[in-house]
Amino acid sequence: MVSHRRKHRLPKIDLMLIRMINHSKGQFIAVLTIITMGVAIFTSLNMASVNMNNTVDAYYKQNNFADLFIQTVAIPYQKVKQLEDINGVDQAMGRITLEVPMITDNQNERVNLRLITTTGDENEINRSTLLEGKLISDSGREALLIEQFAKARGIGTGDEINVQIRGKQYALEVVGIVANPEFIYIMENNQSILPAEKNFGICYVTEEFGQQASGLIGSYNELLIRYDVYADEELLIDDVENALDLYGVKQTIKREDQLSNAIINQELVQLNNMASTIPILFLVVAALILMMMLSRMVKKDRIKIGVLKSIGYRNGQVLFHYVKYSLSAGVIGGAVGAVLGMLLAGAITRLFLEYFHIPMLRVEFYYSYLIIAIILSAAFCILSGLIGARGALKITPADAMRSEAPKSGKRILLEKIPFFWKRLSFSSKMINKNIFRIKKRTLFVMAGISLTYAMMLFSTSMPSIMDQMMNEHFKEFQKMDYNIGFTSPVHYNTVRDMEHLIDANYIEGKLEYPFELTNGNKKKAVNIIGLSRDTRFYTFIDNKGNEINLPRQGVLVTENLAKALDIEKGDLIQVNNYIPNREDIIVQVKGVIRQSLGMNAYMDIDTMGKLLLEKNVINGVYIDSSDPNINEKLIKAANIGPVMSIADMRSAYEQYMTMVNISIGIMVLFSGILGFSIVYNATIVSLSEREMEFSSLRVLGFSKWEIFMMIVRENNILVILGIGFGIPLGFLMSEYSAAAFSTDIYTVDMTPTLTALVYAGIYTVVCVFLAQLATYRKIQKLDFLQALKNRES
Amino acid sequence: MVILRTENLTKSYQMGEIEVKALQETSFEIEEGKFIVILGPSGSGKSTLLNIIGGMDQPTSGKVFLRDEEITAYSEKELTEYRRNKIGFIFQFYNIMANLTAEENVELATEISQNPLPVDEILEAVGLGERKDHFPSQLSGGEQQRVSIARAVAKNPEILLCDEPTGALDFETGIAILSLLRKLNRDMGKTVIIITHNSDIAYMADRIIKMRSGCIIEDIINENPIDVEDIVW
Repeated sequence: MVSHRRKHRLPKIDLMLIRMINHSKGQFIAVLTIITMGVAIFTSLNMASVNMNNTVDAYYKQNNFADLFIQTVAIPYQKVKQLEDINGVDQAMGRITLEVPMITDNQNERVNLRLITTTGDENEINRSTLLEGKLISDSGREALLIEQFAKARGIGTGDEINVQIRGKQYALEVVGIVANPEFIYIMENNQSILPAEKNFGICYVTEEFGQQASGLIGSYNELLIRYDVYADEELLIDDVENALDLYGVKQTIKREDQLSNAIINQELVQLNNMASTIPILFLVVAALILMMMLSRMVKKDRIKIGVLKSIGYRNGQVLFHYVKYSLSAGVIGGAVGAVLGMLLAGAITRLFLEYFHIPMLRVEFYYSYLIIAIILSAAFCILSGLIGARGALKITPADAMRSEAPKSGKRILLEKIPFFWKRLSFSSKMINKNIFRIKKRTLFVMAGISLTYAMMLFSTSMPSIMDQMMNEHFKEFQKMDYNIGFTSPVHYNTVRDMEHLIDANYIEGKLEYPFELTNGNKKKAVNIIGLSRDTRFYTFIDNKGNEINLPRQGVLVTENLAKALDIEKGDLIQVNNYIPNREDIIVQVKGVIRQSLGMNAYMDIDTMGKLLLEKNVINGVYIDSSDPNINEKLIKAANIGPVMSIADMRSAYEQYMTMVNISIGIMVLFSGILGFSIVYNATIVSLSEREMEFSSLRVLGFSKWEIFMMIVRENNILVILGIGFGIPLGFLMSEYSAAAFSTDIYTVDMTPTLTALVYAGIYTVVCVFLAQLATYRKIQKLDFLQALKNRES
Repeated sequence: MVILRTENLTKSYQMGEIEVKALQETSFEIEEGKFIVILGPSGSGKSTLLNIIGGMDQPTSGKVFLRDEEITAYSEKELTEYRRNKIGFIFQFYNIMANLTAEENVELATEISQNPLPVDEILEAVGLGERKDHFPSQLSGGEQQRVSIARAVAKNPEILLCDEPTGALDFETGIAILSLLRKLNRDMGKTVIIITHNSDIAYMADRIIKMRSGCIIEDIINENPIDVEDIVW
């Protein structure tokens, strides 16, 4: 007779495996999904990370990005070339940088431009890449506008922009739209948490115009330096600063501290961290599930294993039979995930570039990640397979003939409280016994629920934390409506003049200058802000939560600055004065204060002027005003530099929130999938382990629904316990992330909010509920007679 | 010619909190090609004996020889080889793999043995030629036991060890299985050892070893074994 069934060439033991997998598809797919996602995230993020790094590096190289930025008061032309004689300096270039307001049709809008002079030279440092139009010619009032700003404001080539410089209005013709490595990420200063593309832009102008408008005839106010390959950065900086001693070095910024570059590096580091932590989390969860599934399977297959051994299969062959189950999940998940990840990598890299505005793209496929990913997931799965299936080794061939001795029944702790125990119904007793007896599975499900809850808590807390951070900074910490800088210092009486000029409720003068602070060999350049001691615009809270006042002598420093310099209250630090012929000073730290955004030191304005600058000067004001025409009036005033409106900053922040929300959405999705898989698998395993028990209950007359409800009630207890542990876990996660997220630019206090606690709870419960629906289907299909008839199935 | 020899086999093990002496100083020899029934009530030590002979369990003391090889001196690995090539097991509850067809169940065994017999022929011989593509759930108990026998025989072992092969079957099916085993013994010259508590089966054997409480109490050579068809219980 001709066989109708296709002959399987596969070893029969493997055929058994394949049919076994096919039989438990649901669970297998659940594990596979986690592995696939983990691996896809691993490959895509790692490849995106490498691509991003390469792209940024290539861009920097192509556009001759500076290694060192030096802001000075003024440095004559001739002096610049001499710097190239310093050891390690390959190229030095000067330029003029001016912060100016742009005049727009909307008089309520405050727009600031940074004018930067350019020579358009082939080997200019920080050369721009022309995206549209042409480069500027040597003379005239032609300008190049940075892409992000031009796009945000809808300015194109041929358009005219008007700027106000030192009280005079100039019209500039935009001839080209450019991208520049210095402004991949445009932020006005390190006080701005987010780019405000509509309100701050970069505009490149000719040197001739720059000089004329700034009044810096024959001089520059900024230097760019490129190192040669032998440069020793610290030595070089010392040499350069010495050479420039007479010209007032305000601030020396290394490439690593340059705002745009620093932010990009932070993003890349975060991307890297994510690329290594999230996939591992997924693989660990998958490994745990596999372990649980296999250990259960081995227990159930005791006779089958005995028979295999009695037929002559070796221990290793039997163990490997089970390891192959997890290995196939690892390899299939690894391969699918890696391919998926490769496909996603390009998209993710493009997304990042979109966000960063880099006019080039280096996307390459790193096939090594494909292999690493598969090996990584296979390794996890083999390990979990070995641990999960190791019980197969202990089973002897003679077990094939023996029937299983009943498990030693033990009383659980609750039973020792007769008052309580006697009051429970039979099924409640079963539930409690199950939970407390099968500790390993209980722990696993609980851990899964805790993890789901903690991740959800963390994800859902993010938006409100960001919100709270903004409120804390803009409502509690500083309360001004406008923060205005002057282009040069003026006598403090200017405040009174301004009171006449604009309709303000209150105006307060300030001093804000960058200084380098040092403690031993630790250095940090920050803005020191001088304020009246009775300032109405700032409320300082020390790190213990107490309100403190600005001291007459000494400084207050922000937490992140204290950390960067390794200082605490009472320590002495040195303030390096860049102003020619002024001494460096030593000041005492009078307190460490909380500040969400930025890194600063604060001093009494009189003391600051006296010690570091001149007496009775200010270089900016804070305004509390609801005057709608304030912008218009300010623009007309001479000597007005950058104006920051707190409202603008908040709206920029809201834009940014959409991006944050997307990543939160992804995290929520991840936590959901993980939580669901854990609960689903644990319930299914628990179900098959107790098939006999349920079958007996069915015979006793329990309905399917009653049995299902028993599982539900069992899970409910686990959910409550799981959430109980999830809360502190979530807080720990937040605390850890706060430390990881806090940078020079922002300090985050990530305490989960009450709403987040509730949302995370609801979500976790929904997750468990969905997993239980799947369980219900399984119970419907449970053939209790069959289960009782077969000694083992 | 002696194919199997035991010397003072003793086995004791812990069952829960009690120490059980399953086998005490058991010695006997078995001739090649014979049909042997080991008879005894449950707990007489016959299963333990079978496990030790089958290389599935180690005695507490004593020796087992297959021809001149001492299998009780074997390492774990050598024991596996022994089970793989020299012994065919037939279990009371068949113990065939639920997710493999009849044919695949036999192949599961032949794939790892040194000189297996053709699977098709064996399936024909046990009367499953037409049912070889069925899964166990589609087969009757007798058919399942035939699969189990085919699996044991197809490896071409020296000895077939059967643990209550008819224990789970009805009378007619049981007789059919016994007759199959007798046929394999006569046609292929395989030594067959059956352990059972069913004394009626013993009449068909060439030799009957009776056991009680871990000891051999009687060892009978049956000069005139009756035909399987004449057995009644």
